[in-house]
Parts: sequence; C-alpha cells; structure tokens
Amino acid sequence: MDSLCNQGGEENIAVTAFYCDFVSQQQQTTSNIVGAILKQLVGRGEIAKNIREAFKKAKKEVGGRGPRLPDLVGMLRTTIASLPKVFICLDALDECLPNYLQELLKSLRDIVREFPSTRIFLAGRPPVKEDIQRCFPKMVVIPISPNTDDIRNYVEMRLERDI
Amino acid sequence: MPQNSYSVSVGHSNIHSGNIIGIGSVNNTFYNSDEDAQIMRWLSPLEPHNRHQGVRNKRFDGIRDWFLETREFREWGGGQGGTDKAVLFCSGNPGVGKTYLR
Repeated sequence: MDSLCNQGGEENIAVTAFYCDFVSQQQQTTSNIVGAILKQLVGRGEIAKNIREAFKKAKKEVGGRGPRLPDLVGMLRTTIASLPKVFICLDALDECLPNYLQELLKSLRDIVREFPSTRIFLAGRPPVKEDIQRCFPKMVVIPISPNTDDIRNYVEMRLERDI
Repeated sequence: MPQNSYSVSVGHSNIHSGNIIGIGSVNNTFYNSDEDAQIMRWLSPLEPHNRHQGVRNKRFDGIRDWFLETREFREWGGGQGGTDKAVLFCSGNPGVGKTYLR
C-alpha cells in the first residue's frame, strides 16, 4: 500500500485502500465500500461538481436519501476518468458478506472494462479465489505463505526494540 | 511471536475498517467546509484512515519486501496488459501477513 502511495507521489497516481472486517460486516455493504473508495479519491481536493450536485439533490428528497450503488459506481467512473491512474486495494475479501462481495466484484469489473489502466489489488484467504476468478478469470495470483526469513527478521527487530 | 498474529488482533479490535488515500504522503482529512464533510459522510459512513494507520504503525521495515520484487507484482503495477492484467490477488491463510505487505 505505502509502496504504491510512494510511487503515487512521484507519478500522480491515486491509491485507495479498504480493509474488510467481519466485525462490521453488516455496515460493509457494496454501496458503502464503493462509497468509501470514492470518498478517498474525492478527498484529495476540490469535490467534483457532479458529486456535489447529486448530494444536494438527494438532500432535498424526503429525509435525504443515501446514494444507491449505481449512483456511486457512476460517480466513481467520472472520478476515475478525471485521474491519470488509480489503484484500488481491497484486503480481507473473505470477511466481506458473499452477496456484497459478488456485487462489489461486478462493479469493479465494469470499472476495469471501461478504464483498463486501473489496477486492482485484492487479498484474502484462498477460498475467495474462485469468487474473484468468476469476475476476473485472467487475474494474477500470488500465494503468500509464512516465510522463515520474515519471521526471523521480525523476532530480531522486536527483540532489539523491546529489550 | 511472528508478525502475522497482528493481522488478527487488528482485525478484531478495529471497528471501523479504514481507508486512506495517498497522493504521495498527503492525507487529506480536513475538508473545506461543513458541506464537504457532509458529502463525505453521504458517500459512505465508513471512515477512512484509521485502519490503514493502524497497519502502518504495526508494520516492520524489511519484512515482505520480496513481494515488491516479484515479476507478477511489477508487471501488474506497471500497468501493461490492460484489462486482463488489471487484477492481482494475494492468496494466503489467516495470519501469513497479507495485510502487512508494504
């Protein structure tokens, strides 16, 4: 993540990250996750006019309504179109409720089809691989396994720090 | 205690799953007006920032750098290959350190 951000600083790349969490599964609806991705892209500077207008319009409706998924995907599209390159990172996908995950992956697939330079980084336990592959059959998979060097480095650093 | 146990403890203790936007190291948490803040809440009630900051603080330098050097990661990050190569999936069992990749 931070490596991408550093690269982003040099090349004006926008990086967004979202960590799924089973503790807040109910809150982590597809809309809220897409909204959170959008929020990070929007939060960089001036809020785009179309988003401000959509908000004002929604506010006028009775009780003010939240944005629907197609609205959010639409706003995400226009935002991505205005940026040179966007990285979207999503961690712990297995902690996302299955229905939301499917919807989320489909939304991402639509985005990638329209903006092929968008890069999507996903992480999760092996069982979600099939779900993801259904939307992205040609994705690149990197298996992460415990690595003795990492553990040794970590223990050495902790000992150095804590003792 | 290996690093991986942290990913579990963070997952349990952090109610808000966070997000962060990085353009270089600038994290924009202050909005120009009340309306801007309202728009942000309207887009999503999920709060950015906290979680990523938590991960960053608990990460150790020198761990998992190998990942950034893999051919797969570089090709993916380089953006060649268009739609076909748009997605990189890191697969691993709980606690192997996926969250703490740099």
